[in-house]
Amino acid sequence: MSQAPERTNLGHYALVVVLALLATGPVYIMLMTSFKNQVDMFSRVPLWIFAPTLDNYSVVLFDKKFDRYLFNSLFVAIISTLITLALAGSAAYAIARKDFWGRGLVSYGNLMIRMVPPAVIAVPVFALWSRWGFSGRFEELWGLTLFYTALNLPFAIWLLFSFVKQIPEDLEEAAIVDGATPFQVFRLVIFPLMKSGYAVAAIFTFRIAWNEFLLALFLTGRKARTLPVAIQGFLTDEGVEWGRIMAMGTLIVIPSLVITFFAARQIITGLTTGAVKG
Amino acid sequence: MGSVTFKQLRKSYGTVEVLHGIDFKIEEGEFCILVGASGCGKSTLLRMLAGLESVTSGEILINDKVVNDVRPKQRDIAMVFQSYALYPHMTVAQNMGFSLRLAGVPKPEIARRVGEAAGIIGLTEFLDRQPKALSGGQRQRVAMGRAIVRDPQVFLFDEPLSNLDAKLRVQMRAEIRTLQQRLGTTTAYVTHDQVEAMTMADRIVVMDAGIVQQQGAPLDLYDKPANRFVAGFIGSPSMNFLDAEVVEGGLRLASGHMIARPVQDVGRKVTFGIRPEHVEVGEGGAEATVDVVEPLGHETLVQLTYGDAPLTLLSRDRLSLKPGDVVPVRMDNPVHHLFDPDSGELI
Repeated sequence: MSQAPERTNLGHYALVVVLALLATGPVYIMLMTSFKNQVDMFSRVPLWIFAPTLDNYSVVLFDKKFDRYLFNSLFVAIISTLITLALAGSAAYAIARKDFWGRGLVSYGNLMIRMVPPAVIAVPVFALWSRWGFSGRFEELWGLTLFYTALNLPFAIWLLFSFVKQIPEDLEEAAIVDGATPFQVFRLVIFPLMKSGYAVAAIFTFRIAWNEFLLALFLTGRKARTLPVAIQGFLTDEGVEWGRIMAMGTLIVIPSLVITFFAARQIITGLTTGAVKG
Repeated sequence: MGSVTFKQLRKSYGTVEVLHGIDFKIEEGEFCILVGASGCGKSTLLRMLAGLESVTSGEILINDKVVNDVRPKQRDIAMVFQSYALYPHMTVAQNMGFSLRLAGVPKPEIARRVGEAAGIIGLTEFLDRQPKALSGGQRQRVAMGRAIVRDPQVFLFDEPLSNLDAKLRVQMRAEIRTLQQRLGTTTAYVTHDQVEAMTMADRIVVMDAGIVQQQGAPLDLYDKPANRFVAGFIGSPSMNFLDAEVVEGGLRLASGHMIARPVQDVGRKVTFGIRPEHVEVGEGGAEATVDVVEPLGHETLVQLTYGDAPLTLLSRDRLSLKPGDVVPVRMDNPVHHLFDPDSGELI
């Protein structure tokens, strides 16, 4: 009897190790490849020990266009995240607390929109894009920002909704009796208590906007290209420049990692909210 | 200080009416307790007074001014919630000063009034703490401090002691009462605990099923209940109720035992009510079987079966009884009540 739990633990550990390898393996290969030259990269036997080179990074970073791609990516990711959070917070609060006509439809519709994969909406979005006639770098960036906001809103609303639900209604009523206007109730009581929710939503929406490839590829011209699309530029007629693709990939991961590490504690709180009673 | 008047107050949710015409007045400086079982409408009534629920019909007056459509902040009331509803992201001082901050009171004035209120409730050294770093009793005090700091016309308390343990509840009961007497602020206090009501109130309003069953001073309700509901609700342990019939020369209980009391209408069925402390073990009584004996030290509580009915006896003596004993019980104490078995009204 006493042996059984240990066997289960071993199985669990083995599973965890396999999953961890599956998750980190590609990242490891990307990182290592980014430091390899063309010869080491294509060696018949995978090389564990090699002379690292920063050539790939210097090509990527000193390309004049890299700054532009970086700015474009930061622009759409940060602005769409800010707009998404502002809209999602108030929408989540309204759906959770206010009684209005069509509330059920809005909340269920919201969940249903969430189920549609982004690739499915690529064609209709392209049709809209053509009709509205976005052109020029900043028009296209704003357009992309708008679509990312629309893409991220349902999830952000759904996430923040569960945070609002956790806040006891007594607090709002106490604030009302204390003399707060509805806006003050939100700003002074609800908003500070939803901060961790906002942090979680910010990370998710930033990462989706930051990494998005398909819509950005379809919709943007040369000047409004974002980093994930720019990688495609390394698929040339002369061949695939794997080293540079991997270097760019590694660079793209860094901002997401930094944000995630900074907000790790908030994320953990967010993912476990409601997990225990009280 | 202000007075509060309810006039023919009704509340409906859709087609369901939960308050059926409430009429009573809380005088200036009075400590009035609304008591009743869960779902009787007492909290709804308090929330309507606070402005958190709309009025379906009738009127609520504070200081003779109708406040039906006045927003909560303009009613000059302060409320203590069952959950305390302290803002978790603010310190004790910020919690207490929140209403003043919203009202645009200058910071030094807020600090002075918060300091003063903290002194009254004994929380001066905790002003910089957050609610999560306080015990249940301290949180309760902060909630009261938040009410005191506003110096309102009326204090509203919604079951403020139900989250505390028994010992702390007794202590806080006394503290709230002392505080109210010291400040003299009109108070509406909701509870389901009749002991709280009896020990704290100047006046008790007993509610059931959305109507006021009876109101009056605690001992008046205890001694002269208007109906069977109030008789059973006020007093712990509850009053005993036994079926009886009016016969020549008195009442005959269902068990056959006679109670000498002149009553009119021979043949009428009645409900005989007697408090546990007026039932005694003694020669000449009817036989009852002991079910449970609960020695409380200063008194003994005995649960019996009398005929088919349960009967509770409370004695100051240390009775040496054990379950299964058959004892004679006397119920001829002149302090008893008769109720109509159908309407429940006092005869």
